Amino acid sequence: MTAARPTASLRWRVLVVLALAALVPTVTVGVLAIMRARNDVEREVDRGALAHIRALGVALDITLQDARRTVELAAATWADAAGDARQTQLLLRRLRRDVPIVHGLAILDPAGQRVQGDPVPPNLDVGSHSFGGYIGDAEFVGGRPVVHLVVQARGRTGELLGVFVAELELGFVRDLLSEARLGAGARVMVVDGSGVPVAASDDLRGVPSEAWAQPARSLAGRDPAVDRALASTVEGTLAVDGRVTAYRNLSSFQSRRGVRWSILHQQPEREAYALARDTTRDTLIIGGAALALALALGAFFATRLTRPLAALARHADAIASGSPDDPPPVRGPGEIGLLGQRIDEMARRIAERAELQAALARGDRLASVGVMSAQVAHEINNPLTTVLGYAKLLQEGKPEGHPDREALELIASEAERMKTIVGGLLEYARVPRTGGVPPATTGPVRCDPAAVLRHVGALLEPQLRRTKAVLSIDVAATAPIAIEAHALEQVVVNLAQNAAQAMAGINLEGGALAIAARPAPGGIATLITVTDDGPGVPPEDRARVFDPFFTTKSADAGTGLGLAVCKHLVTTAGGTIEVGDGPGGRGAEFRVVLPNAT
Amino acid sequence: MKLAALIVLLVGCSEHAPRPPAIRFLHTFGAEETEVFNATMRERGIAVEPALVPFARGQQVINDILRAHTDCPDLIRLDATWLAGLVGGGLLMPPPTALVELDWAPEAAELAQLQGAWWGLPQSVDGLVVLRERDTPAPASPALADLMTATRAARSEVRRYPLGMRVDGYWFVPWLRDAGGEIAAEGIAGDGAVHAMTQLAALFGDVAPPPPTAGGEEPDELRRWNAHEIAYWITGPWMLGKLSDRAAIAVSALAHAPRGGHLLVVPRCARHPDDGWRLAGELTSLAVEAKLAEAFAMVPTRRMAIDSAPELLRMTYEALRSANTLPRVPVTPLLFDDLNPALAAVVAGDATAEEAIAGVRRGWQRLTQVAPARPGSAP
Repeated sequence: MTAARPTASLRWRVLVVLALAALVPTVTVGVLAIMRARNDVEREVDRGALAHIRALGVALDITLQDARRTVELAAATWADAAGDARQTQLLLRRLRRDVPIVHGLAILDPAGQRVQGDPVPPNLDVGSHSFGGYIGDAEFVGGRPVVHLVVQARGRTGELLGVFVAELELGFVRDLLSEARLGAGARVMVVDGSGVPVAASDDLRGVPSEAWAQPARSLAGRDPAVDRALASTVEGTLAVDGRVTAYRNLSSFQSRRGVRWSILHQQPEREAYALARDTTRDTLIIGGAALALALALGAFFATRLTRPLAALARHADAIASGSPDDPPPVRGPGEIGLLGQRIDEMARRIAERAELQAALARGDRLASVGVMSAQVAHEINNPLTTVLGYAKLLQEGKPEGHPDREALELIASEAERMKTIVGGLLEYARVPRTGGVPPATTGPVRCDPAAVLRHVGALLEPQLRRTKAVLSIDVAATAPIAIEAHALEQVVVNLAQNAAQAMAGINLEGGALAIAARPAPGGIATLITVTDDGPGVPPEDRARVFDPFFTTKSADAGTGLGLAVCKHLVTTAGGTIEVGDGPGGRGAEFRVVLPNAT
Repeated sequence: MKLAALIVLLVGCSEHAPRPPAIRFLHTFGAEETEVFNATMRERGIAVEPALVPFARGQQVINDILRAHTDCPDLIRLDATWLAGLVGGGLLMPPPTALVELDWAPEAAELAQLQGAWWGLPQSVDGLVVLRERDTPAPASPALADLMTATRAARSEVRRYPLGMRVDGYWFVPWLRDAGGEIAAEGIAGDGAVHAMTQLAALFGDVAPPPPTAGGEEPDELRRWNAHEIAYWITGPWMLGKLSDRAAIAVSALAHAPRGGHLLVVPRCARHPDDGWRLAGELTSLAVEAKLAEAFAMVPTRRMAIDSAPELLRMTYEALRSANTLPRVPVTPLLFDDLNPALAAVVAGDATAEEAIAGVRRGWQRLTQVAPARPGSAP
């Protein structure tokens, strides 16, 4: 559990990081796209609506201006011949015929009295302080929206001779609006200078003109868009009450040239910004899908990324806990694989270090034992020599069959045996502790392993013949190694004798004893192996076979110092020695690695 | 927790706080002025429901609205010459004393008064002055003769018509006054009208360019001024706002020039007259006057605003101090209906000055005899 928690946390953290990495750009881009789409659509809706009402306004104005100019020309013409009744009749008839929107037409005298034509509204202003005439406000006459065009008829000298009053029917506004191609839910409305609707596109479908054209209440103060239009002298847009309104005030500073009115294009926001809404929806869907996909991929990659890490953690746990089972190596991509390799390498080094430390500790302990043993051996050796000498002397003085002779022989053989042990102890203690370099020697230590092994073969031949073991020596081309030749010889002879004895111990005849030397991997050391077909070294003994006085032989067959001396010689030369199974799991194989001489 | 309570409180207040009624304002601002006015009101947080009336129909529409007593605004901006007609009809209410006692310039205060009684607040002062570029020599004096001398001296290949002016009765006033006449309640006073019109008409095609078609006066003037064809331009402050390089402009007085302006008045039928006067006070505040002066070169009406106005406006104000108002009677604005076409006929050569002035006299006689309760309307 303790090892799993950080791994799980890492997985979630990786997942969160990946989620954020996906979420932030997705949301940012999505929001930007939505805002951009909204802004673009709003701008285009505004532009489109303004362009529409601008065009409608121009069309309205052109119709009005045509009528105004025609009536002005007629008034001026009439003023130059004001007294000709027949010409006046002709003029009025032509006006009615050529200006379709002229519904009523009258001529007033300068005082405002009607002298000819249709009736005019009472109290009609005849153009005072209006720079020669005006187009009045929209009004409803008999249910029809109309405006009155007042044109002062002045003579050659500029003197006022009469006033032309034309009632212009605004049905053309209705007709124009009815032809407008509007978007969904959109309407176009024309209001006069007081905010009273003159015509609206949505009032026209299927409704008799008499019905829609009833005088309506002013929308001023009730419709913010109308208020804005009336208050402005320009065009603009307004989004209020769920509607988008584009307005344009068509009032002219010179009222003679236009009507006080405004034109408005209104559309519910829902329809006006449908494209923006669709874009928002699509963006959300696509963004959500992309986000979900990114999160799923993130989860997948997070798991995949952390799985080898979890394995590494378990690996590290196993290493830390000193699990006897070698955990399998961790494979992973890139840095993770590299990290696994490094951990394996680190574990191996830690194990080596621990082994080294144990060996050092054991070595120190053994060194102390060795020193003490050497001292004891030295002290024992002299009296033992005396004992042996006197035992042999006494033996020589006894005739064959003397009852003491057997005892004396036993004393002598045991004394010989004790000398052998003492000699081994002295040999162990005599090995120098630093690199196998004799104190008197100068210069680099080196030897030719091939020559040493050949010499060893010659030395071992008589003994192997007795044990009927088959010796093979295989020396590949190797570099000189950094150990004294006699030390190497001692090591190999010791290992070979042990092997021969082991094979003889199981009564194996014709067992193979192989000695080989070849470059170690890396090329900086030489590997020497001594392999036999004997019973091998049990795994539980392998860690102890190099300890002094450890032996599996009978008490009279070994002192338990041979392998200890070998290890001492090898390690002091900077090498390693280890034991394992022989080829095919048979016998034993001692592997000695010694550094090459530099 | 406190924040949430505050938000709840604010939301609650915003939902239930009564919104002040918008002040209904009828005005005759031009297009640019209207937009600046709207923006200014938004900036200052004043709820206004404005409606604009084309200047050329302002007197008609205002009369119609005030006499109908429906749709009555709380405040009206109007030409100073319309004041007498509205006061005569009993349609206006006097301003509060506190507003009257502000530091009005005398020329502005005069516009807002009739026979010593205040009927509104002056919003701008205008009239005819002479504009020239700073490196153009000033006329020796404001007199028309000196202006004509300077004008003729300025004539060159580029400045074939160095005098800028309009075929308009308002421009006729200085020549009429110079000839000893005057626009009077009963018509043209004095015998110099024919001589004045002859003199004035003769300038067109001589030192002044032939008149453009009706309605094209302003663009024609601006084009000529920007092309440096005009050395001396008889015009009003209303054109200053349309000129770009105001720092290069000098202003001098024109002898006998008419002076006028615009007023802010509150009708008797106003539903919220106090709000109307409050808005009038706001529009004549130093801050707003300074803003309009900066944006449109509108000559302020408050002394402090004039003192702190750009140099061009101070020069304009000084030039206008020597000008004189037109008769403060209801018929005055109507007189120009006949004067304008008469002058145009003479300039065009369609009529002699004698014929034109005779026609004007007949027209004015008719106007003054009718003495309409509603100016200009048919009896």
